[in-house]
Amino acid sequence: MSLSDRPARTILRAVSDAAARWTDGDFPPRVRALDRVVQRTGYCEPAVEYAFDALFASLNAADLERAIARELGDVAALDGFVIRGRNRERALPAGRVCIVSSRTTVGVAIVPAVFALLAKCDVLVKDREDALVSAFFATLGEELHDFRNAAIAQTWDGAGRDLSEFDVVAAFGDDETLASIARGLNWKTRFIGYGAKASAGYVGCESLATRRDAERVAEGVARDLALFETEGCLSLHALFVEAGGEVPPGEFAEILARAVRRAAIEFPPARPDAAIAARVAAARDGASFRASQGGFAVHSDAEASYLVECDASAERPPDFLPRAIRLQVVDGPEAAAAYLRRHRVPLEALALDGVRDDLTRFAVGAGASRIASFGALQTPGAGSRHGGRPRIAEFVRWVSDERDA
Amino acid sequence: MTYAGESFQLDTEILAAIDAWHRSGKAMADGDFDDLALRIFAYQLRYNRPYARYCAGFGISLDALPATWDAIAPVPAAGYKEATLTTFDPAGAALAFETSGTTAGSSGRHFMETRALYDAALLAGFERSVLAGRSRLRYLNVVPNPSERPQSSLGYMMQRVSATFGDGQTGWYVRGDALLVDAFVADARAAIDDAAPTCLTATAFALAGLLDELERRALMLPFPNGSCIVETGGFKGRVRTVERRELYERAARAFGVPIRDIVSEYGMTELTSQYYDAPDSRSAVDGRRKLGPPWLRSRVVGPDGKTLPDGTVGALVHVDLANRSSCLAVATEDLGVRFDDGLVLIGRDGGASLRGCSLDAETLLPR
Repeated sequence: MSLSDRPARTILRAVSDAAARWTDGDFPPRVRALDRVVQRTGYCEPAVEYAFDALFASLNAADLERAIARELGDVAALDGFVIRGRNRERALPAGRVCIVSSRTTVGVAIVPAVFALLAKCDVLVKDREDALVSAFFATLGEELHDFRNAAIAQTWDGAGRDLSEFDVVAAFGDDETLASIARGLNWKTRFIGYGAKASAGYVGCESLATRRDAERVAEGVARDLALFETEGCLSLHALFVEAGGEVPPGEFAEILARAVRRAAIEFPPARPDAAIAARVAAARDGASFRASQGGFAVHSDAEASYLVECDASAERPPDFLPRAIRLQVVDGPEAAAAYLRRHRVPLEALALDGVRDDLTRFAVGAGASRIASFGALQTPGAGSRHGGRPRIAEFVRWVSDERDA
Repeated sequence: MTYAGESFQLDTEILAAIDAWHRSGKAMADGDFDDLALRIFAYQLRYNRPYARYCAGFGISLDALPATWDAIAPVPAAGYKEATLTTFDPAGAALAFETSGTTAGSSGRHFMETRALYDAALLAGFERSVLAGRSRLRYLNVVPNPSERPQSSLGYMMQRVSATFGDGQTGWYVRGDALLVDAFVADARAAIDDAAPTCLTATAFALAGLLDELERRALMLPFPNGSCIVETGGFKGRVRTVERRELYERAARAFGVPIRDIVSEYGMTELTSQYYDAPDSRSAVDGRRKLGPPWLRSRVVGPDGKTLPDGTVGALVHVDLANRSSCLAVATEDLGVRFDDGLVLIGRDGGASLRGCSLDAETLLPR
């Protein structure tokens, strides 16, 4: 049998069962993959464990089914015609899918690969050196034999494969890489590009009403900052702090610095790299220079393992450095939006504390595809729309039967 | 002593050190370097207020001076964008060079009170490190023309070098954002016809652009014997990055200049003096050592600012005594490794804000 002959729920269950095995920290393939991912990324083990837990826990049957139903109306649409509106419709596999994954983030290709498989497509993933996708596919194959042919993970050099043979290509990378891949495809191929993006946070003045509030928010900010060394599109790269709270921005910076140091106990910084260390140290020294000329105090350490600074001007773009955050003091969301526009920060997600309509409007207007609470920025659910795109809808081809039912 | 008196005294000593090396290759003893560096530093703490404020943050002041040159607090290169770092009123500056734009889009300025130090350091370094006994050369400068961009330190540098060591037929081949390839080709052919040994100077990026165009036209321009190429500025550009070895091999083929006569200069607007490839290391492209003149020393440091052991990669801190009227110690994001026989420059990570003279030429299009 092939995947296309299987009921969607059988596939869904197999995926969920495989993922559940990977949520066990003692599952041997996960233990082996952990070492390899730590080697590749340089992240500390707890951070990679955290990533594995979040990723594989999100691939549970209930959440996957909800995500499918949200986009296709009904999981049954993957198996046969179902009534949708006035028509009978069926979601067929879009064809052969290739996923070219990112070098940085942990297991970023797995979620789209899973949705492509749920759409009954054959999937090829360009795996990273850590072979995480390959290891997960092996578990899928143990759960359901059909996956052994349908889900393949390989490594190859940049131009080592003709991607035009695929019906759908999903790729993660910078603009140049994506443009280059897109140029090599024919018009029939669906191209799904996940370009470089960044996330931001906005701390409203009401969240700084008391020191306790400020400490609570800072805990979440610190986690969003420390996880995965601020490298992913869901990492916090800009933090707007609204003036007018009882806790002034300078004091909040101090509270945040303490929280970042605490976060480093749970998630120690990655192995130091001379180039990155030099850049963070230079950012720290530049901020210290500004502070010496009358700017805000700077919070860092001798090793430049983190950097928290505060800035009332909007002149400097985000540093995009590990565990480095500049608190941009703003009067309101309009100033934050102007900052993002000025520095052309392509926004993936915005972290907020509490609910405020004007901040929701700001998030939407700034291009965020996800609004999350502080501390949860790095743990999107399986149905979370990466880049604002559908999860499974891009891997299906609809057939409508418009005859009277 | 008055400011003018102190400045004159220091300049006299710095110029003497430069002259001694220029004339006879005389090095500076460690004690002499230490002594002069610490006196310049104390002078800068007195007259350069932003620098003094920064140093105060490290507990360094006129009452608490460091004991050796390597304990002088370096100003971050970015500090030049944040404040006017001078010991004098910049309205009276003899030279003002703009640091390259960065991804932040802002630039700083390095003001110098006198041309004498810059010119002396430049000419001594160029003559000993590049010319090394060569007679007058014809300078074909693929760098910003100082008449168009007076704020470019690179343009000024090549203007002084060409005027001092050139044969009077200097050419400039960058206008606005364009490479003047046709003019370059015509002048290069004239130099070949005249059998005039030539010095081609270019940023790495401009050189790559020039070679692209020459290759597109299938042109070879074999310079006369005794010619050389000086590549200056970093390789990082927003448009493309070129491998140094590939670039040198292409340049050697196109201009008939041996690899050993292609010399890389390393400097920055925030410094007065320059490093060049050590002559003994020029037979190959990889692993070349950089040497500075005796009044310019460097440290390779970790994030904590402490000097790393030889052979360890770290960020470069330069102490340039010729930076008398600004800040003599400058911390950079450039990575390097120190060895017994010099410094290996690794450059800078691609994600860092872009600096260096290359930025001027990175978007050049052939015209």
